[in-house]
Amino acid sequence: MSATLPQVDPSWSDPKDFKSELKPIWCPGCGDFGVLQALYRALAAIGRPAHEIAFISGIGCSSRIPGYTTAYGFNTVHGRALPIAQGIKLANPDLLVIGAGGDGDGFSIGGGHLPHAVRRNIDLTYIVMDNQIYGLTKGQLSPTSKLHLHTVTSPHGSLEAPINPLLYVLAYGAGFVAQSTPADMPGLTGILEEAIRYPGFAFVNVQSPCVTFGEDDWQVKQHRSAMKSLASLGHDPTDRLAAMDKARSYGSELHTGVFYRDPAPPPTYDALVRERQRALGAAPHDVSHILDAYLQK
Amino acid sequence: MRDDLVFGMAGSGGDGIVSAGEFLISSAATEGYHAIMTKSFGSQIRGGESSCRVRVSTVPIGTSSGMLDVAVALNWEDFLKFGAELPVGGHTIVIYDAKTGVAPDKLPLEGVTPAEIRMVPISELSKKSAGSDKAKNTVVLGLLAGWFDVARQSLLRSVLKKLSKKGPEVAAAAERAYQAGLEYALANPLREEHKLAPPKDPPGKKLLIDGNDMCAAAALFAGCRFYSGYPITPSTEIMQLLSREIWKYGGTVLQAEDEFAGIGAAVGASFAGLKSMTATSGPGMSLKTEMIGLASIAELPLVVVNVQRGGPSTGLPTKPEQADLFQACFGTHGDSVRPVLAPTTVADTFPVTVHAFNIAEAYQTPVILLSDQEIGQRKETVDPIDTSRIEIVHRLLPTAGDLEDFSRFRLTESGVSPLSHPGMKGGNYLAAGIEHNPKGAPTASGAMHETMNRKRFHKLDPLMRRRDLFHIDGNPTAALALVSWGSTAGICREAFELAKADGIAVKLLVPILLYPVAEEIYEEFFRSVKAGLLVEASYQGQLYKLLRMQLDLPKGFRSYCRSGANPFSPREVARELRNVMVALQRGKSESLQPQE
Repeated sequence: MSATLPQVDPSWSDPKDFKSELKPIWCPGCGDFGVLQALYRALAAIGRPAHEIAFISGIGCSSRIPGYTTAYGFNTVHGRALPIAQGIKLANPDLLVIGAGGDGDGFSIGGGHLPHAVRRNIDLTYIVMDNQIYGLTKGQLSPTSKLHLHTVTSPHGSLEAPINPLLYVLAYGAGFVAQSTPADMPGLTGILEEAIRYPGFAFVNVQSPCVTFGEDDWQVKQHRSAMKSLASLGHDPTDRLAAMDKARSYGSELHTGVFYRDPAPPPTYDALVRERQRALGAAPHDVSHILDAYLQK
Repeated sequence: MRDDLVFGMAGSGGDGIVSAGEFLISSAATEGYHAIMTKSFGSQIRGGESSCRVRVSTVPIGTSSGMLDVAVALNWEDFLKFGAELPVGGHTIVIYDAKTGVAPDKLPLEGVTPAEIRMVPISELSKKSAGSDKAKNTVVLGLLAGWFDVARQSLLRSVLKKLSKKGPEVAAAAERAYQAGLEYALANPLREEHKLAPPKDPPGKKLLIDGNDMCAAAALFAGCRFYSGYPITPSTEIMQLLSREIWKYGGTVLQAEDEFAGIGAAVGASFAGLKSMTATSGPGMSLKTEMIGLASIAELPLVVVNVQRGGPSTGLPTKPEQADLFQACFGTHGDSVRPVLAPTTVADTFPVTVHAFNIAEAYQTPVILLSDQEIGQRKETVDPIDTSRIEIVHRLLPTAGDLEDFSRFRLTESGVSPLSHPGMKGGNYLAAGIEHNPKGAPTASGAMHETMNRKRFHKLDPLMRRRDLFHIDGNPTAALALVSWGSTAGICREAFELAKADGIAVKLLVPILLYPVAEEIYEEFFRSVKAGLLVEASYQGQLYKLLRMQLDLPKGFRSYCRSGANPFSPREVARELRNVMVALQRGKSESLQPQE
């Protein structure tokens, strides 16, 4: 979100302003409720009117989230939140664009889009609610499921190691990479706000436990005692290599906070697009003469 | 004097035979001829054999296919690799380089005796005049100018204009090579004269353009301001032109990481309020189908161009085929409907592309534009298009009243509901691939699903009455019919003229709107029909089968089809049509015999 945007609009400063009438389909105790609450608060802190926000998701439990906000929402198809979100932002760079989904949506079926969204650096925020399981389809292996995990599709234990999304996104070159958990609501709210305000592609991995198919010993309650804030560890969020070093422990440690934030964010793709449109579109061009160049004189 | 000449030329990659074709067609266009050029290459990325066909005519034409009038072989090995694409027959004049060492009575043309064979020291003339054999293509142009008088006034001028950029010496050498060819031809006249008649149209008025550029230009004219796609042969030129030009009109192009993202970003841009497009070819279309379903249920305007090539899978990437019709109509799961339009020439690619945008916007639906490799990549002369007479349609936006209590998918009589976009206060809604109620809230109700399916299907009803999307010609009461679509229709239009000239009573139907099937328009057309042909370049005959699915076709009306990359010729179709007519008449007379 660029620095030139208007200040907080007082009529959009209450978290309730962003809450829609739809009742979430999530199971009681699902981590996604916390993400939703934190997002309402972050959006209220930012103060952009809901109609200037486009909230795009893929498919999965967490991908239902846009419908629970008053923003323009688009609950798209599995794995494709990022391409659609990027098209929206390029079509209208004035919008605040947020993408969201689960670990299966973002790292498996849609995993091919992530490096490109990062390298393109279009100004949008991508929130992944990472629960290490496929919840909507009732408990299959996900790309972040632990090795040896027993699920309905790995009844004898998983044979594959999980992906490390934090490390990947850092290696792709993302300008903003953070992780949080609903166990730390003030931290999660602050990170979402900071990510949305970051001028460029911002990635937030939220450890959002699945209360129904997730591991019993890895719920919000356990997060509370396990989480370690990066700030408390003296981590310098402007040091990408230090961030990668910390990110290596994804899956064994629950680090919260900002892993990396580019201290000098480069121009975003959407800003460069605007610049090019201004430069090349400066002179008036009459589209009704578009074929003149093909005339054979 | 000839009114029409088809040139076919082949050589090795470095021979510049395709640039010779380019000079020939641009000069012909300048002088006011109608012309079509197709190129064909071996599968090598660079080098290897290359060929082109250039048809030059004093009257409008719809194809460059058919037997060659003039065949030019810089070497026989390369020429023969093109097989049916460069067919030599009894009327063909064959010109070839003496350096190939093949005697005129030993030509590798089995069972064919060309009308005239000319072994010309092309390499030698090039060396003598230009100092190397690099000017063989220019020698050939001189020969063609001398023997056929084709675009003689502007041919040398266009060669010099292009080559002067490479320095005065190169241009001077080219001029000498051209003169050497011309003088050789004038000194050694053909047995019979085959000079091309002067053009009937005035000089300096024709456009020369290929179908992909035409599609891109028309998209800009229609208001397309967002394009995203993934490079794939033979559609990429659409993205290339837009990447260069769209900025001038305030738009942008995104080269996506894959076909999903190519169409995905275009869906997103449409959701955000812009007219948007993506283009691809068969393999890419297979990947894009999920988003076509999404745009259908979310009721978002979108134009998806499929420049068809041979399939399935990688198939024949550089050859035309019309075998993606079923996919265009039915690709994607669920009950979904999307209009499918097909241009038939480079010229009508302009209005048909604008129709695609207009229909997408008017009915809030993805529209599939089924072009093909032939139309997409061939160069064609086009008369100037009067753009002031082309209507541009925009999507229905909500009124202030609508926005007070906005229902994105409100049930309306037309089935079209006002479409808001982010940034529009009060228009906030949830777009989704999931079934929804009028407000946009997700639902699993069977009743609502039925209601919404009806809305999405019935909103397209007005298309069924779009007679302007059907080209009908000929005797309205004829019992004999010719139906074709896409690039094959260009061939059939000529076949239709040949049949008429032959005294056959026939009517022609070329649908531009292929889906949904406008049953009434077809029924009306077929009312007088007893027999005929539906000509298309697919093994299955997909349009024929599609029509059979929805209509009772006359018994004697049959499919005349074969796989792509086996071009039909107007003469062939006309001959087949005559056979159908003869069978029809025989059937009639038999049915008049007294029954035992």
